[in-house]
Amino acid sequence: MGNPLLVFWVRLLTGEEQGQRRTRRWRVPMASATQASATIFLVMRRMRTPLIVLIAIFAVGTLGLTLIDGQDAQGRPWRMGFFDAFYVMSYTASTIGFGEIPYAFTYNQRMWVTISIYLTVVGWAYAIGSLLALVQERSFRQALALQHFTRKVRRLGEPFLLIAGYGQTGELLARSLDALGRRFVVIDSDSGRIDDLYLASYHADVPGLVADAGDPGHLAIAGLGHPYCEGVLAITDNDEANLAATQAAALLRPDLPVITRTVSPVMEARMQVFGSPTVVNPFDRFGDHLRLALRAPASFQLLTWLESGPGEPLPKRGDPPSGGHWIVCGYGRFGKEVTHDLRAEGYDVTIVEPGDAAENDPDAIVGRGYEPHVLTAVDVERAAGFVAGTDNDTTNLSLVAAAHRANPRMFIAARQNRPSSASLFAAVDLDALLVPAEVVAHEVYAQLSTPLLWRFLREMPAKGDEWADSVVGKLTNLCGKHLQSLWKVRLSAVEAPALRGVLESERVPLGDLLRSPDDREERLHTVVLLVARGDEAHLAPSDDFAVTLDDELLLVGEPAARRLLDSTLLIDATREYVLHNRHVPSSWIWRKLTRRTAGSPDRLP
Amino acid sequence: MNLEKVVFGFFVLLAATLNFGFFIGDLGDAELHNSYELYAAVVVNLIATVLKFGDRTQIGAVHLATSLVADLQLIAAALVWGYASYVGDGLTREATASVVSLSGGALLANIVSVVLLVVETVSFHRR
Repeated sequence: MGNPLLVFWVRLLTGEEQGQRRTRRWRVPMASATQASATIFLVMRRMRTPLIVLIAIFAVGTLGLTLIDGQDAQGRPWRMGFFDAFYVMSYTASTIGFGEIPYAFTYNQRMWVTISIYLTVVGWAYAIGSLLALVQERSFRQALALQHFTRKVRRLGEPFLLIAGYGQTGELLARSLDALGRRFVVIDSDSGRIDDLYLASYHADVPGLVADAGDPGHLAIAGLGHPYCEGVLAITDNDEANLAATQAAALLRPDLPVITRTVSPVMEARMQVFGSPTVVNPFDRFGDHLRLALRAPASFQLLTWLESGPGEPLPKRGDPPSGGHWIVCGYGRFGKEVTHDLRAEGYDVTIVEPGDAAENDPDAIVGRGYEPHVLTAVDVERAAGFVAGTDNDTTNLSLVAAAHRANPRMFIAARQNRPSSASLFAAVDLDALLVPAEVVAHEVYAQLSTPLLWRFLREMPAKGDEWADSVVGKLTNLCGKHLQSLWKVRLSAVEAPALRGVLESERVPLGDLLRSPDDREERLHTVVLLVARGDEAHLAPSDDFAVTLDDELLLVGEPAARRLLDSTLLIDATREYVLHNRHVPSSWIWRKLTRRTAGSPDRLP
Repeated sequence: MNLEKVVFGFFVLLAATLNFGFFIGDLGDAELHNSYELYAAVVVNLIATVLKFGDRTQIGAVHLATSLVADLQLIAAALVWGYASYVGDGLTREATASVVSLSGGALLANIVSVVLLVVETVSFHRR
């Protein structure tokens, strides 16, 4: 590390700021930062020749002017001094041309100035041209972008997530996280995606870099070693890159949570070896969702709604088929996963696969699912469900259309591979659609948004379908058909100072807490999804559930309801009105005065 | 033989020698200090500075720093000289003394530069 610049970078990037949250400092190597400074050096090196040419031309021109004999106004011999000569050369070279100063030139001088004009103009043009060419050069601009990005990441003063891979999943996730007010840093190997990132209007400033996510140096620049980095999301569409990013994060920052995606169980096992990353397998998750959708349609509806994020409309509730067998077309990784899940759920499954991937399975038929004779062979008339699960969107659409025609009552699930096919799949009538990118985005969102939501979603399926139906009913009654924002409140001395005394001395039912401060007969338009008390969690508690100090509440509702609830939690007078229907003066002086005169707060009729 | 090293060494040495040539002599006597020599020292120093651009080693960084110091001192000397002869009351003894002492500072920086050059050469042979 001989170069002071190198030391400088390392020192900056390993974060020697004061007052950091973590005491331990992480030394993460930064290969690319040195590359960036190398480019700057290259630029300086390339400017050597133009600058020397310019200096030489100026020197010769100025020297010549001082040596050539001239005349002053009276015709006496006179020689120009260095300052006059430099002055004349400066304005001549820059094509300003103030004229012949201080005295009119002799012919000797004019001849010399003529030569100098051409020389200096060429010199200037060469130097400026070289500089402009360098500025426009790709590698130089990349180096500048890298430095800009590095500076932005370094200056992040709040917790942020490192998103490696800004594909469809990354974009969906970034939008949801941005709506939650979270900060994040993005790296993607495709420059087009990073351009999209800058065009997308996020609330927060999102630093983005075109870089390979598998390179630990790039991850380090993107904030892997930053004290405020709170997690790494390796969600590129390349399993190898995800694995590499997972490895880098686990080895260099073992304290950080890592969430990654893959569709291959082998890759999942390889990822699990490094630390304990959360691996999201969209096929696996879709299989689980499909099972839930068949067993408990209302639970599935609630799950997908909450996972999809604020602003999303209530999804349609599916109508699961009762009996009969299932037909799965395509026996790749997805087909295997779904077949396994359906069989675990107790359904008979017939596999249709053109290749020999499924030849060991007794219920496999070789053929293509959209061919009429294959459809007859699988007894499509009496089938309960149909899965179009090949890795080709055109084939899947054909399968869906053929299945529809053969048996309109079937439960039809399909897999969408390319984002561009979304409108086509939306147009055909489907009971379940797998979009791997969305499954991953929703899953990661649920894990990251609040730990309470994740807890809710994990424990919710056990509550049964009727319970889920009542929760959906409650949500739609109070908050409408579009999901409102989710937020968390802890009934602690800090977040709910007004409630502290009350919670310690008396029983506070949730229903009373959620009365409106404007009119306590009205209920706030918010639903408590979960009350977490230590290790136990109460899902969608009823109105007379008593809350206690330090309970954590997960609420969903309009922003207005959030503000009103905050006033109940923060302002003593509002709390008195909401909980006890007492009107108390809100200012300290009036409270003192009324206490002195009335002795006790007046009670309204 | 590396032509780049020849050019580099040439300019570094020439900057130092020209500077020395201007500096030597009675501090206040304008006749002993040729203005053309100062001019040449400024130009050669500027070229030497540009030649030192873009060297990534530690010794290269110090090289650049010494050259920048020498430039600063010599340009200051030239400015004082220009001010004295065009604006002030000519090259008095005081003015000449300050021009020459400024160039003396530059000479020190140039000597450091030459020492660095020698050190670099010697350590290169050892490797």
